[in-house]
Amino acid sequence: MKYGMFWGCLIPARELSYEVSVQKVMPAFGVELVKMEDTNCCAPFGIQSLDYTSWLALAARNLCIGEEMGLDIMTLCNDCYESLLMVNTILKAHPEIKKEVNEILAEVGKEYKGKVDVKTMIDVLYDDIGIKKVKDVIKKPLTGLKVATQPGCHLTKPKRIHFGVREFDALDELVKATGAETVSYERREMCCGGPLRGINDELARDVARIKLINMKNVGAQCIVTVCPFCFVEFDLGQLEIRRHFKEEYNLPVLHFAELLRVAMGMKLDDWEIKSHRTPLEPILKGRVKEG
Amino acid sequence: MSLDSNFMHEVANTPRGRGILACIQCGRCSGSCPVARLVADHNPRRLMEMIILGSRDEIIRSQLPWYCLSCFTCLDRCPQGGDVAEVMFAIRNLAVKEKNMPDGFAAQAKNLVETGRVVPSITSIVSKRVEVGLPKEHSTATKDVQKILKKTGLSKIIASKGMVKE
Repeated sequence: MKYGMFWGCLIPARELSYEVSVQKVMPAFGVELVKMEDTNCCAPFGIQSLDYTSWLALAARNLCIGEEMGLDIMTLCNDCYESLLMVNTILKAHPEIKKEVNEILAEVGKEYKGKVDVKTMIDVLYDDIGIKKVKDVIKKPLTGLKVATQPGCHLTKPKRIHFGVREFDALDELVKATGAETVSYERREMCCGGPLRGINDELARDVARIKLINMKNVGAQCIVTVCPFCFVEFDLGQLEIRRHFKEEYNLPVLHFAELLRVAMGMKLDDWEIKSHRTPLEPILKGRVKEG
Repeated sequence: MSLDSNFMHEVANTPRGRGILACIQCGRCSGSCPVARLVADHNPRRLMEMIILGSRDEIIRSQLPWYCLSCFTCLDRCPQGGDVAEVMFAIRNLAVKEKNMPDGFAAQAKNLVETGRVVPSITSIVSKRVEVGLPKEHSTATKDVQKILKKTGLSKIIASKGMVKE
């Protein structure tokens, strides 16, 4: 199985352990990730806020690259996923908008045709690979680990392009496949606050705090996410919350790819463990030899 | 401040603004909004009301539509198909045409025009990438981004904010 890999900007620039983990776990399922070359900004919500047509054209240019490769696109970041998925959905449904976008793309020698699909790593594992095969590769089941999942808004909302809440359940099912438990917490579907980071950091922090309280209340031992913005929000956010509110949550944050990697019996390198601001050691202890 | 009786229709006629016509002011959006829980002034129902009533000047200059997280909870829960989160994009796009945007968004736009990405790589990360066996960077078509933004006119607006050269 081959996919055009769209890495986005935040993960390669800030969350290298996520990038490395994806490359380590996906080959176990026979998945080949072919890097998409010369991509551009996915045009996330900040850019969509500025101009509708620029959003469509920027996202569509990336979709064209997947089409040229003849491969469906795999994304990791929720913002990349939502932007590319939304634009693909709009352009497939509205020939008149497609025509307008193609006039812009002609400037850069591209033409959008509407021939590929956009998926996240969660879609690929859940739909294309299947839970059974994920269970098959688990060598060190994470028995007894209580996980609060944070799928993030743009994996599941708006429902009309995401088929309801399936992806919420998909992430939980995948986490359970590693042998861990998932906890049900209040307002799980709520935003992490990430989009306000850089706009109003205090407010972003306060939104994250509501979720941390709810996770801690039901006995979560760690947070598992797929979105690099959710990751920053909870990982760095816990330091800010400690400083401001004098509250300790001590909830390590892992990307699902990292959790899967550990359950597959592959250790995280020392630099990867240290790249998490909220210490990971409490949950890794006794599971996989560190460093 | 004077009211603009056509404003609701102006919003409805933008690509993401049509939902405003469906709003019945029930307030379910405000009850669903994670920001409204924390910021009393950010009240999506009230913002929709301001559009319906025609408070154009006030809303175009307001920071409040920019507090929306685009989490789409209100959109999923709206009983009327009012697409509140989409309407927030419509308002922001109109505000940008009049050169109103918060600094955080202008900073993202600056990165986009200069590097082709919203989060550019930094020197220390490049060396870390090489050290751990990753490629230095993933190639970015910065020039194509600049051509697209020139064609759509966004680069002109961003340049007018004084942040980047046109």
